[in-house]
Amino acid sequence: MAIGSQLLKGVLEGCILAIMARETVYGYELAVKLQTQGIDVSEGSIYPILLRLQKEERIIGEIRKSPNGPNRKYYQLTDKGKRSLQAFRLHWENLKYPVDRLLEEKEDE
Amino acid sequence: MEMLIEENNQKRELLNEKNKQIYEDILVYVRLSFSKSEQETEEILMELLDHLLILQKEDRDASELFGDNPRGYADEIIGELPKTVTKKSLCLFGMGVCYFFATSTFFQGFLVMLLSFLFDHIQTSRTYSLGTVLVNSFSSVVIAAIVIYGMIRYLRWSCFNSGSKVSERIFAGVIFGIIPFGLFIVLFYFMPSFGVMINLEVYWLMPIGVILFFVGQWLRKKA
Repeated sequence: MAIGSQLLKGVLEGCILAIMARETVYGYELAVKLQTQGIDVSEGSIYPILLRLQKEERIIGEIRKSPNGPNRKYYQLTDKGKRSLQAFRLHWENLKYPVDRLLEEKEDE
Repeated sequence: MEMLIEENNQKRELLNEKNKQIYEDILVYVRLSFSKSEQETEEILMELLDHLLILQKEDRDASELFGDNPRGYADEIIGELPKTVTKKSLCLFGMGVCYFFATSTFFQGFLVMLLSFLFDHIQTSRTYSLGTVLVNSFSSVVIAAIVIYGMIRYLRWSCFNSGSKVSERIFAGVIFGIIPFGLFIVLFYFMPSFGVMINLEVYWLMPIGVILFFVGQWLRKKA
């Protein structure tokens, strides 16, 4: 499995929330969108995260007919999810540059 | 809920042999996990099936979805499934107990009636000692619960083991069939009679069984 550590799980969770903030998606669609963003994770790894986000009421899933026929479960953010995405964004912004800098310094030595 | 399960049954037929084997192992393994919300369980199983069907159409491997360790993946899914409410589990347990006694009392009554029609010497009136009946009933529920628990554990364990051997199946049959059956016989033959004695015409067992059945139905609807 391409995703193992807690760090990766947390980041993936944030990315999922970010995609859902833009549009309502179903499972397979979400996996494709992550991959086109260059986030290469095992496709199955999104499902345990989707279950957890639902349990914590950060997203809600609803089964309905898709435009081309079969029933699909579509996910969207709740208000709690929106707040949690904001928090993720803030943490990420605060962490991104210091971590990058730290890692670059090490490479220079 | 029934619709989801039915839809799953139909869609599963579209899987090729290899994918079907992996998917059905996951399906059985996840469905047999204790005390998980049934609605959520069926929904995630349907999502995984839909996803797998798309991969199959694109000629990609099931391992891209479930990883190299399907059992570990299924455990991950189960770990995130919400628990079912306690009231529901209690109702379902009560339902199981009612069905269990409904079947045993009804058929006991039915068989004795049938035999007494065929053979004149069989008595249709029996004496029951209330204490013994209570202790035996309670022990039966405990034995049945242990057997069912053991069977579920065995079935879950046997998922993802390719090529289950015949000898292993026979061994499981012995453990889950003969041993509990033997215990029931020992229980009913060697339990001393105690408590209040009541005389009962055996045909009364049939309506009692029917009533228990309806109580079970009622609990099932409530769950």
